[in-house]
Amino acid sequence: MDNRIKEFRARHDLTQDELAKKVNVRRETIVFLEKNKYNPSLKLAYDLAKVFSVAIEELFIFDQPNQNE
Amino acid sequence: MKKSIIVFLVAILVMGSAVYFVFGSGQLFKSIDILHFGIISIVVGFALYVGFKRWNSEKRGEPAEDELSKKVLQKAAAISYYVSLYLWVFLLFIKDRIVFDTEELIGTGILGMALTFAISWLVIHLKGLANG
Repeated sequence: MDNRIKEFRARHDLTQDELAKKVNVRRETIVFLEKNKYNPSLKLAYDLAKVFSVAIEELFIFDQPNQNE
Repeated sequence: MKKSIIVFLVAILVMGSAVYFVFGSGQLFKSIDILHFGIISIVVGFALYVGFKRWNSEKRGEPAEDELSKKVLQKAAAISYYVSLYLWVFLLFIKDRIVFDTEELIGTGILGMALTFAISWLVIHLKGLANG
């Protein structure tokens, strides 16, 4: 799963620290999310989407594997 | 903050006890004692690192624990449980082949479990939980 957290964070002029505080997680979690090293829970995904005022599917890009492969 | 202080206190207590038992006995060290002391130092170092991270997060106004840290902890616990089973089987296998006191065997097993947990946590923490 890919995400656009870094892009939206830059658009909203937020630091990782500020975003972490807004969604009540540690800064490290934001770093892991931006590096695609962690898939967030539905609650955290919802909270992040709410901060950026976008839909979850706009923030997270789910690459569904081709079932024919 | 309270939990971080407890982690620091326990780490100091464990290290103090280890130094007392290894160096305060007045006897010559056995190689197994040095191994135990080395493993205790690594585990205490790990506990101090985790405690420092928690304390730092709290100081910055972040939660000490969040969903990522909890998941890393859970996965590390699960992996170290599996590895520990094989560790005990291995220790039972070698206990008849090497001269081992019961206390040494149990001590090695417990320290091995702690070390396994510390290594699992570190690997998962560095690798991330992209599919977890």
